[in-house]
Amino acid sequence: MAEKFDSLEEHLEKFVENIRQLGIIVSDFQPSSQAGLSQKLNFMVTGLQDIDKCRQQLHDISVPLEVFEYIDQGRNPQLYTKECLERALAKNEQVKGKIDTMKKFKSLLIQELTKVFPEDMAKYKAIRSEDPSP
Amino acid sequence: MMENFSALFGGTEPPPSTTAAALGFGPGKPGGPGTGQPPVPTVTPVGEETARKAAAASGPFYLMRELPGTTELTGSTNLITHYNLEHAYNKFCGKKVKEKLSNFLPDLPGMIDLPGSHDNSSLRSLIEKPPICGSSFNPITGTMLTGFRLHAGPLPEQCRLMHIQPPKKKNKHKHKQSRTQDPVPPETPSDSDHKKKKKKKEDDPERKRKKKEKKKKKNRHSPEHPGVGSSQASSSSSLR
Repeated sequence: MAEKFDSLEEHLEKFVENIRQLGIIVSDFQPSSQAGLSQKLNFMVTGLQDIDKCRQQLHDISVPLEVFEYIDQGRNPQLYTKECLERALAKNEQVKGKIDTMKKFKSLLIQELTKVFPEDMAKYKAIRSEDPSP
Repeated sequence: MMENFSALFGGTEPPPSTTAAALGFGPGKPGGPGTGQPPVPTVTPVGEETARKAAAASGPFYLMRELPGTTELTGSTNLITHYNLEHAYNKFCGKKVKEKLSNFLPDLPGMIDLPGSHDNSSLRSLIEKPPICGSSFNPITGTMLTGFRLHAGPLPEQCRLMHIQPPKKKNKHKHKQSRTQDPVPPETPSDSDHKKKKKKKEDDPERKRKKKEKKKKKNRHSPEHPGVGSSQASSSSSLR
């Protein structure tokens, strides 16, 4: 899985570095650096081609749109992962609580019904005993 | 109590048969209610389910449903451990994750912590309004490169975006302080100054009146104006 991203990461790093060097050339341009500028511009094109080629390997990767919102706001996208995990755990605990409560309710209900309707509950239990207990 | 029980197991059915009515249950399916014996399914595992259904239908519990399978994954299991995400959970939730994007991409040049909407560089805008361009990237040929001939000399200061870097660890606190505190203090004193000035302005006419009254009182109590009371003075002043 990680190997898929390695080549993309490498190309992106090269591309960023090329852009940074291009920025340095442009920020204090000298006539002698025209050849270097042209070279960097063509590197930029090849860099984009390389990044575009990585698409084939990553067509099955889907990114949640909310992550882009974090990046657009200048926030660390790992915060999104963190919040997702925290939300998942909280919801998991909530659902577990509900299930446990329902189980307790079921056993109490059966207990009380057995006291009042012993025969019918015996029938009920006989049917249910065939079912695997949840 | 009996009625409640019948309601639990299906009370909306038409009037029950004799035995079922006596028990307080709903009517069974034809051939069912009188027997009451839950037939034990002796069929092969393939027909087990149907047999169970038949058993349930023949007895008083004709509305009984199948129990959910135990193999089904529910919230009762810890899903984070189930999907082997403990490492990710400890990594992200165990320690504090730094807030800024520059902490995630420390080697990226430029000021990346600013919102993308400021300089129109947001990723969302790229998705919503994709740039109109061809599907392939073609190299820039010799004639096209002539368009990239630049004037010699440094760029003006406002265009040097590449040199602006997000502050490093040591400067970060200073930067934070300057960001959070700098705008606040100049605003608060200026506001308070305004208020003070306004108060002064508002107070000014009142003060003048008080001063005038004091002067008048002094004058009246002075030996030049003997015998004039303060109450009279106030009334006279009001009359004037």
